[in-house]
Amino acid sequence: MGMIRSTVDRLDKPSSYTANKKRRQKFNRERAGGEEEKSREESPIEDKLKDATTLYVGNLSFYTTEEQIHELFAKCGEIKRLVMGLDRFQKTPCGFCFVEYYTHQDALDCMKYIGGTKLDERVIRTDLDEGFVEGRQYGRGKSGGQVRDEYRDEFDPGRGGYGRAVEDDYSERR
Amino acid sequence: MADVDSRANGRNRGHYNNRKRRQREDDSDDRPSQIRRRVEDQQHMRLRKQLLIFAQSALKDSKEEAKEVAGFISYHFNDSEQFKQTAFDVIYQLIIEQPFKIPFLASIVLHINERKGEVAAQFITRAAVNFTTALEKGAWRDCKLHLRFLACLQPFFEGEGVFSVLDELFNRAVDLQTASSDDTLGLELVKIILLTIPYVLAQPGTDLAAKAAELLEKTDIVASAGHDVEALVNPYPGSTGEKPFEYQSMLGLLQAQLQAEASKGWELAVIPRVYWATTPDAEASSSTSTAPQKHAFPTITVPASLSQGDEPIFPAAYFSLYTKQDIETVPPTSDIASCLLRDVLVDTINVLDFNRVAAAKFLIELDNYWTPDTFVKRATQFDKVKEIAGTGSTWKPEDLALDAVFSQLFRLPTAEHKLVYYHSLITEACKLAPAAIAPSLGRAIRFIFRHLETMDIELINRFMDWFAHHLSNFEFRWKWSEWSEDILRSNLHPKKVYIMGSLDKEIRLSFAKRIRETLPPEYHHLISVSKEKDTPDFKYADDATPYATEGRQLLSLLRKKATDEEIQEVIASIQTQAAEHGVTDVLIPSTDAYITCLCFIGSKSLSHVLSNIDRSKDRLLAIGPSSEAARRQIIGSVVDYWTDHPGTAVNLVDKLLNYTILTPMSIIQWAVGDRLGTGSILAENWLYDMVGGTVRKVTNRVRQIVAARLENDLPHDQMQMLEETLVRERDAQRELFSVIDDAMNGVAQGVNDGAMEAIASGDLSQEDGMLIRVWGEKWKTAFARKAAVEETIVGESAVMEKIAARKAKLQGILVDIENGDENNGTAEPMDEIDTSGLGASLLD
Repeated sequence: MGMIRSTVDRLDKPSSYTANKKRRQKFNRERAGGEEEKSREESPIEDKLKDATTLYVGNLSFYTTEEQIHELFAKCGEIKRLVMGLDRFQKTPCGFCFVEYYTHQDALDCMKYIGGTKLDERVIRTDLDEGFVEGRQYGRGKSGGQVRDEYRDEFDPGRGGYGRAVEDDYSERR
Repeated sequence: MADVDSRANGRNRGHYNNRKRRQREDDSDDRPSQIRRRVEDQQHMRLRKQLLIFAQSALKDSKEEAKEVAGFISYHFNDSEQFKQTAFDVIYQLIIEQPFKIPFLASIVLHINERKGEVAAQFITRAAVNFTTALEKGAWRDCKLHLRFLACLQPFFEGEGVFSVLDELFNRAVDLQTASSDDTLGLELVKIILLTIPYVLAQPGTDLAAKAAELLEKTDIVASAGHDVEALVNPYPGSTGEKPFEYQSMLGLLQAQLQAEASKGWELAVIPRVYWATTPDAEASSSTSTAPQKHAFPTITVPASLSQGDEPIFPAAYFSLYTKQDIETVPPTSDIASCLLRDVLVDTINVLDFNRVAAAKFLIELDNYWTPDTFVKRATQFDKVKEIAGTGSTWKPEDLALDAVFSQLFRLPTAEHKLVYYHSLITEACKLAPAAIAPSLGRAIRFIFRHLETMDIELINRFMDWFAHHLSNFEFRWKWSEWSEDILRSNLHPKKVYIMGSLDKEIRLSFAKRIRETLPPEYHHLISVSKEKDTPDFKYADDATPYATEGRQLLSLLRKKATDEEIQEVIASIQTQAAEHGVTDVLIPSTDAYITCLCFIGSKSLSHVLSNIDRSKDRLLAIGPSSEAARRQIIGSVVDYWTDHPGTAVNLVDKLLNYTILTPMSIIQWAVGDRLGTGSILAENWLYDMVGGTVRKVTNRVRQIVAARLENDLPHDQMQMLEETLVRERDAQRELFSVIDDAMNGVAQGVNDGAMEAIASGDLSQEDGMLIRVWGEKWKTAFARKAAVEETIVGESAVMEKIAARKAKLQGILVDIENGDENNGTAEPMDEIDTSGLGASLLD
């Protein structure tokens, strides 16, 4: 008999963000070239996620070091590569990273056992990733960091205080 | 539509729901057929939902719920293929994923039998197929669980029912045990038998006590005997110090507990009799009095040769943290409840690793699934339990839950999942029910800490790793002051070693200043000021260091990425000076300078040092072939530079091994040779990590070669090449283990030169000398175990057996094809191939 759906959810599924990203890309592709519509089954991106060995790790403190990340994530298997997310302009850590393992199983285990636990006293988020490419290590926010840090109106000492856009607003008003 | 929707997502059950159903049956004829079809389409979805939330609450409600689900299934069973399949699939999946519910799920089928015997019969057939499939795959846990489901259906069956399978399994176990003294599959089979019996006997009116007694008499020989392989799984092998308990095999305990239970007339108080549970609704029970249909037990053929399954099997040791208390908070090992509960808890934990939150929820709500009043109320404080002792059960559900998790975290030789799973499971349980779990966890930690002296070193390290990681999830809060006396002990005492190691691991996950803040003042000196430095000092900055000038030159050259020639010039200058000072291997001081510079430059982060190593890898790769001693100097220089952050050193050494700049043997010889000294270094947990990690890398590789060798359809030349590689690498692996063993023998017996000299000169106290011998013993035991485990997987006879088994399987398929679709006749041809395959297998 084939695979039967589990009776409780699995924690090693890609997030809706990544799943939607796949859908978005597929949608764009289909719109770009209508003739490709026949190959609906599996896009290359979906294939990549199927044996992904890389994880996106989010909600890190800016001050968390490679060594700390290594110490935690090596609990799920030997780490092949660790790429720190950097502020596009200042080239300093901006609160995310990519962890690449040697095997897909290690990446899945990491989703199950490390995602949602704490590192450096912050609950971190992990997501399966299609694989690191040069350029993705930089924040895409207007001021160089991650977009989510632009508009945050809560103070987060681990991620540079208030959101930068919010901060600007304050200073303009004053 | 409205009423369907409200039932699909609501949890309303009982009369309300029944009334609705009756109403709808009456109404159905008036409805437009289109709508009715849509409703039918959704019935399987409703069934899935109903089954998934079934039995989540206390026992009394579950009986009503079971009747209701049974009614729903009976009514719609033949509506559509999809409905039928959903019923089979979800029940199947619940059996193997949520084994707590097996007696409850069986009660559904018993209720179905009251209504429609022929539908119930289909569930029985399906259960038998599921069991046989698992049996053929060698999926022993699934086997056990499907068999348990059948056992709970025993009231259905004519005659001996499930016992026919148990007898057959026992015969196989005896064959396996007779064939080899190393056999563990036979032990597993006996365990499955013993864990099935109570579920059969718990069913009222089965009248099989005599049959059970007969079988128990037979299993006694296998279950009660000691087995050599048990030495590999003993959590407390130490001979000096207080042991929390002597080794207890799960199998031996089960046998004794069942015999005790037999003499009590199979009371089996904890197993819930869901189907027979008394409800306030007396009417309901009277309606069942019309004798339900009986069924013949399905024919189950046990395959001629049984598969070991994917993973090697080791016997289970019984591990408990809550023994030796004045109040019993977990079932005593004399009570069958201890093994029954442990078994299903362990299965739940290991099966649900893909959702730790769900697993934690089961652990916390485990009392739902057993006879009411088996436990005290959840989260009852330990002191309160003392007060109520004598008036009822004193078993704390959270103690049982944690006991089971730790039994898996501490399972030898290896746990089923990565250890971090059990870490995250405990974290999750603490988050879900802090008031219940945290105090029990505290008692668990204190218990383990008290018995560290005799604990296996592998487990001491697992405990340290877990503890530091756990605290990192809870603001590093721990009542350190209660161990303040222990920090006065010798640095070699296991308790002191544990404290120091845990603090080091906390620092690795955080940073020194933060961890110091969490400690009482008397601990502060344990975290030296130098640990706070992100960049350790560069020793050549001090002129007192030999070759200081050259060291600094080298540093500036490397910093500005100078040419190889320029660098070589400085290195040559170090070597000339060294030769003048009478150093025989001049590559040693120059390597020291070079590596120290690389470490210092790369101290900013791991990726910095890695890119520096990458840039210099040609020079680094050339060191080993010219001088083995200089190669080992690389390790020494890395470890010395990172002396305050040994975790970083271990990491770097591991990367250098990946680059093949270091070899496994060089690391081992450095660790248990060059640096052994008095042997006190063996108490350093980072050294165990370094050696253990190196050994793991080697054994993984050999296992991979074996796996590749077992691939089907390899061309002859590839097969031969793999065979040669295997022989060579396996020998290298054995050599590695034997080097460790030799060194540890010396330390354990107190005859290694370093220790003898130090004791003679008074540099080492007698007491510390004894402690070092204990560490030597611990290392020896741990690595001897690793070596033995690898032999069971990649040793010559293990590989031959696997090749033979694979051939037999292939032949079996061929025979099946030749015989058409009939599934018989596999027994004899397989035996033939078994023997012929053995000799030739390594040559083809």
